[in-house]
Amino acid sequence: MNRFNQINDSFESYQSLIQLYEKYKDESFGDIHLEFHKFFAANMSAALGAVLDKFTANLNSIHFDSIDPQIEAILLKNNFLTYFGKQKAVDTNKTTIKYQRLDSTDGRYFKSYVIKELIEGHNSDLPQMSKGVKEKIVEAICEIFVNAQIHSETEFIYTCGQFFPNKNKIEFTIVDIGIGFREKINKRFETNLRAIKAIKWAVEEKRTTKEGISGGLGLAVLREFVTANKGKMQIVSNDGFYQFNNTGEIQKEFRGEFPGTIVNLQFRTDDDNNYLLKDEININDIF
Amino acid sequence: MIYSKKMGDITISIINTIADGYGVEAEDGQKVFELILKAFEDKKKVTLSFRNIEMLTTAFLNTAVGQLYKDFSEEYIKENLKVSDISDSGKVALKRVVETAKLYYKDPDALKRSIDEIAKD
Repeated sequence: MNRFNQINDSFESYQSLIQLYEKYKDESFGDIHLEFHKFFAANMSAALGAVLDKFTANLNSIHFDSIDPQIEAILLKNNFLTYFGKQKAVDTNKTTIKYQRLDSTDGRYFKSYVIKELIEGHNSDLPQMSKGVKEKIVEAICEIFVNAQIHSETEFIYTCGQFFPNKNKIEFTIVDIGIGFREKINKRFETNLRAIKAIKWAVEEKRTTKEGISGGLGLAVLREFVTANKGKMQIVSNDGFYQFNNTGEIQKEFRGEFPGTIVNLQFRTDDDNNYLLKDEININDIF
Repeated sequence: MIYSKKMGDITISIINTIADGYGVEAEDGQKVFELILKAFEDKKKVTLSFRNIEMLTTAFLNTAVGQLYKDFSEEYIKENLKVSDISDSGKVALKRVVETAKLYYKDPDALKRSIDEIAKD
């Protein structure tokens, strides 16, 4: 039995998902029993879904033996449990952003999903976000999806989000089951960085593993927006944990490894910055 | 129609090239890049039209425009490439992509040096 009592965006929550993965990663044709109690942040469905897919790929059976009713309700509304045979529920409060497993080539679908889930589907019933903030959030999320698409060599990308109207925030999580920052960077530069150093290198501006083409702006743009918005970004890749918010950076290492990369983003919906301010760049002075 | 011709110059419409109002994926940026390349190879001046483009990622712009600096000089690009109908946020992103590309192709060893520095920490 694997009992989870509190899954949110804490280091310990990621550690418990990593422990689950490490426990069963080599098992085939087994039965894996799960229990969820007290709290499960709905956006973490993306990370859990990625781990459980690793198990089902080895023909293990997943059993949700006991889930607290309020957790079950939200995981039915965001469609997560429907991937495991349960009947989906209607989200009348419209606070969920649906759980999705996408092919890594599904960029167009992803973009439409983000716009629908974050903007069009929530025009009237959620804290009013300014047009500029909405656009910046969609842009930041798309940058991360494209990063996973280009760099991770993943087959699938898992995404899920959640509005927390009382706290004026949105959390959105994007997970891949690809090679991770460490292997990508070490292969490209023939080096031997630990995962946490690889992440730290990649979040700085103009750092890219692409060959023959410049890049490395996506994470830098995201970090600037997170700073302005007073949000938070977290990256879990292999055994590395990196967190950035307006109080600074945290870097830690897990026991065991996540089989890919999790990017968890938190944005404030009550951000009153004017992101639509006119800039001073002359259109004839770009090149 | 992707191109419109006026006085021997070429206008490339992004929305028409990628069939979408959002320039998100690097793969779509590559389509734009190939058209600019084709026009440059034929010694045409290009105007890149961002009309009706609602959002751009840096990944799209790196591929569409940034990689031009690999094969063409700053002077050539400045002389032969213009943009039109681009949003203010698009201008900021494109300027940043262009500055990054210039540095990248001027100093291709900078990335390896940054790896060596972080490895030493």
